[in-house]
Amino acid sequence: MRIVFGVLNVLSALVLLVGVFGVVQPRFWALDLPAAIIALVDLVSALGLLARLPWALRALEVSAWVSFVLGMTIVTLIAITIVFLRGIHGDYGLAALAVSSLIVALLVPYTVLLPALQLLWLKRQRVESRP
Amino acid sequence: MTPRTLLRLLAIWLGVLSLCSVLIFCSVRLDRARAAQGPYLVSVWERGERSARAVVLSDPERALEEAAARGGAQRVIERIVDSAPIFGHSWLLLGMSMVPAQDGLSATYQGRTAYASPDDLRKLEAYELTFALGPLSLVLGIDVNKVLGALAQELDTEPSELLRHGSLRRFAVSSDVAYPRQVSEADVTLAAVKDSVTSAARYLARNQRRDGSFRYELNALTAGESPDYNYPRHAGATYFLARAGNQFHDAQLLRAARRAGAFMKDRATLRCGEHACIGEGEQTDIGSSALALLSYVELLNGGSEEFRAPALELSQFLRAQQRADGEFQHFYSLSEQHPIDAQTEYYTGEAAFALSRVQRVSGDPKDLEAARRALSFLVARSPWFLGSHYFWGAEHWTCQALADLWQRAPDRVALQFCLDWQAVNRNLQFDSPPAPIFYDGSISRGPFMAPRLTPTGSRMEAAVATLEVARAAGVPASDATLLEQQIKRAFAFLLRYQFTPGPRHLMAKPRLLEGGYPGSASELHVRIDYPQHAGGALLRYWELGAH
Repeated sequence: MRIVFGVLNVLSALVLLVGVFGVVQPRFWALDLPAAIIALVDLVSALGLLARLPWALRALEVSAWVSFVLGMTIVTLIAITIVFLRGIHGDYGLAALAVSSLIVALLVPYTVLLPALQLLWLKRQRVESRP
Repeated sequence: MTPRTLLRLLAIWLGVLSLCSVLIFCSVRLDRARAAQGPYLVSVWERGERSARAVVLSDPERALEEAAARGGAQRVIERIVDSAPIFGHSWLLLGMSMVPAQDGLSATYQGRTAYASPDDLRKLEAYELTFALGPLSLVLGIDVNKVLGALAQELDTEPSELLRHGSLRRFAVSSDVAYPRQVSEADVTLAAVKDSVTSAARYLARNQRRDGSFRYELNALTAGESPDYNYPRHAGATYFLARAGNQFHDAQLLRAARRAGAFMKDRATLRCGEHACIGEGEQTDIGSSALALLSYVELLNGGSEEFRAPALELSQFLRAQQRADGEFQHFYSLSEQHPIDAQTEYYTGEAAFALSRVQRVSGDPKDLEAARRALSFLVARSPWFLGSHYFWGAEHWTCQALADLWQRAPDRVALQFCLDWQAVNRNLQFDSPPAPIFYDGSISRGPFMAPRLTPTGSRMEAAVATLEVARAAGVPASDATLLEQQIKRAFAFLLRYQFTPGPRHLMAKPRLLEGGYPGSASELHVRIDYPQHAGGALLRYWELGAH
């Protein structure tokens, strides 16, 4: 699992870095900063996991929690924004609703599911390593 | 984290999120359909400015009687239907909390309340704030500074103080102003269409200067003119005027078109290598020349023979700019005297259409062949690119070229392209309900902005051209009917917003604006291409029905 999570964290970091810094223009700190933080901790933990370094699991825990919390925050903000705009503009903003929902659906696997799985796996590792 | 802890966390998150969502939704929504219950905002407008305002709970007809009786004064009564609080004291949230062209804003501060009604916000031009984020230009809600500035002035305070300590509410109103007009698909008759086209053309003729140029953009609210000018748009307006003059046998419109044509012929004709071209400065584009060519051909059809030689010269220039694959080099460097092989959205379609039109007077098969190749290039879409079914531009000349070429060089691929594009446009058309009734038939540019008239008009120019060919080509009647319904619904939208006479109470010089089409429900400016495209589409439909 170490290698799987290591590879997945590298992939997540690359998707974020290419997506945010390669595709999205112009630069906007509110998007750039969280994306850079998540990508950085993912890369550091991936390095630890793939190189079997002693601090690898600790780094994975940090990266999983950072991704999980920021991911949940982003999903929450998008959901509240959808509700707010639907309240303001009524029910003819179906296209905006669909686009926002699509963004949430694309974000969830990277920012919520993967870190949640990692946290569950870490817990199991800890239980199994107890004497 | 154990699975149970994770599930518990997610359940708590979902519960809190759901509760917050319900609370937010119920707090901010307005019921625009309910019976009006709020106070009346009675305003008296004189020469486009609000001169008096009273807020009364009943008998609004008795309010401000003296002011309303003054010569040239107009009393407007708006009644608040529903209102909702604005969340937080945030510039951004306030900006995103209003529906453009529909909502008003009230502010209560130290026991006093001031109202900025939809008319006030239109007058302030505060409904859309264009926000530059790097190279992107975004419309980011209302212009908070303008709205707060106006309300703060009425409440004798500062905008920042009002935002921090005032209580703000948005509200919906019912108004006794007959704008936008109530027009439905059934009202789109040939007579109504002809009236609309005539008054749009008269708008251009009325706003023409002695030298043949036009007042490029008029702000209906102030009667102020934009200092800008643009040759492709001048040529497009000339083309529309000449067509309207020819079709309706209207000597006044033809005279105006001839003056506008002479302006290009005598003042804007340059040398691009061996050929004549239209433009100014160090670089010119083929759009100006293509649209000038269209107008020259139309003027020739109206009997103005002095445009024959310039038309033939321009067609040579356009052909010289064409590449082997049918595409055009869109620019020409005047300083270095060579073509520039760069492209923008509309010019290839304009050149294809212009070359097709000029062949009818030149009789030159090279013009027809160039137009045919250009059309073929424009509609070629790779079958391997799945996105070609979903990504479409706003280019509306291709389908007009298709219609003009159909009898001489029919192109079934181009017909399918145009039918597919109109199917996409049907998907973008607002339906009411759920959209507001006065937006029904318009082409959406997103749910948070008022739809614009010109993109709707220009797409309908292409739609009517497609309908013409669809009928000639024997496309199934059900498809043609669907297309015609789409067109009539879009026309109903255009007619609703045409200044006939429009919101006169907001206008400084309403007579100048008569017949013009504004940018949108919230942008009451008339640029010369607005009547050109809306009027051009309607005129095409009239031609189709009349012949």
